[in-house]
Amino acid sequence: MNCSEAQEKILASFDRDVFPGQRDALDKHLSECATCSDFTALQSQLDLFLREQIVAPQLSARFRAAVRAKIASQHSDMLPAWLPDVAYVAGSVAGLALGAVLLPFAATTVVEIGASVAIVVYLLQTFLRTALQQSIE
Amino acid sequence: MADEDVQRLLCDHHYALAFELILQRYEKKVFYLAYSILKESANAEDVAQDVFVKLWQVLPLYDGRAAVSTWLYTISRNTALSALRAQSYRKTLPFEECDPPAVDPDAGLRRLQLKEVLPRLSQIEQEIVTLFYLQECSVEDVAGMLDVPAGTVKSHLHRARRRLAELMRS
Repeated sequence: MNCSEAQEKILASFDRDVFPGQRDALDKHLSECATCSDFTALQSQLDLFLREQIVAPQLSARFRAAVRAKIASQHSDMLPAWLPDVAYVAGSVAGLALGAVLLPFAATTVVEIGASVAIVVYLLQTFLRTALQQSIE
Repeated sequence: MADEDVQRLLCDHHYALAFELILQRYEKKVFYLAYSILKESANAEDVAQDVFVKLWQVLPLYDGRAAVSTWLYTISRNTALSALRAQSYRKTLPFEECDPPAVDPDAGLRRLQLKEVLPRLSQIEQEIVTLFYLQECSVEDVAGMLDVPAGTVKSHLHRARRRLAELMRS
C-alpha cells in the first residue's frame, strides 16, 4: 500500500467505509510511515472538530402547526378554481343574448354561430391553460 | 419501495392523509437540508415551511415516477438555494446554533470557528459536510437527500476533508 492509497483509506474510515482486511494493511503502512500517521492525526482532529461544531439545530415545536396555518391562509386567500369557467360561460350567454337582440340577423343564426365560436374558444383556452400550468410546474 | 403507504394514498387521491405522513416523516430532513444551505436555523425553518406549502400545492400532480422523497428533496434544495440567493447580500451566514468550540491553546484546530473555514469550500461540499454530520455520518442518507450517487458524496467529502485540514494546518 502506498501513501496515496493509505490516505484514501484513512479518509474512507471516517465514512465507516474500510473493511477489516484493508484495516490490517492500513495499520501496517501507518506503523511505517510518519507522513500518513500525521495525516491520520490531523484528520482525526478535524473529524472531532466537525462533530463538535456541526450541531443539529432543533425544529420548533410549532413547526407543523405553522405549516398547516400557512396552507389554510393560502386557501382562504385563493379564489375558487372554477370561477374563471363560470365567468366565461356567464359572459358568453350574456353576449349571445345581447347579439340575438341587437344584431340585424335571425336570432337562431346569431345564437348558433355565437355558441359555436364560444365553445371553440373555451376549448382553446382550456388547452392553453393546462399547457401553461404544466410548464410552470 | 419506500413510502408505499404514501404512494397508495396519493393514487387514491387522499392528499391530506398523504401530506400528513410526509410532513411527519420528512420535516426534520427537509429542515436539515435547508440548514445545510442557509446555515441559520430560523431561515431554514421558514424555508422548510415554504417547502411543505409548495408540496401541498403540487401533491395532486404527483405521477409516481420518482420517489416521493426525491421529489421533496428537489423542491427543498431549489427553495433553499433561491432563499440563499435572495439573501446573498449578507456577508456572513453564521452557524448560530453552534456552541463555541472548546478552548484548548495546544490545539490549533479548535481555535478556528466553522463559519471561518466552511465558506472556503464549494457550495456542494459545504452541504455534504454539514449533512454528513447532521445525519449521523450516513453517506447513503446524504446521497438520497441530494439525489447523487454515494460515491459522489464520498469523493466530495474526501476533497473537503483534505481542504479543511490544509486550511486548519495553515
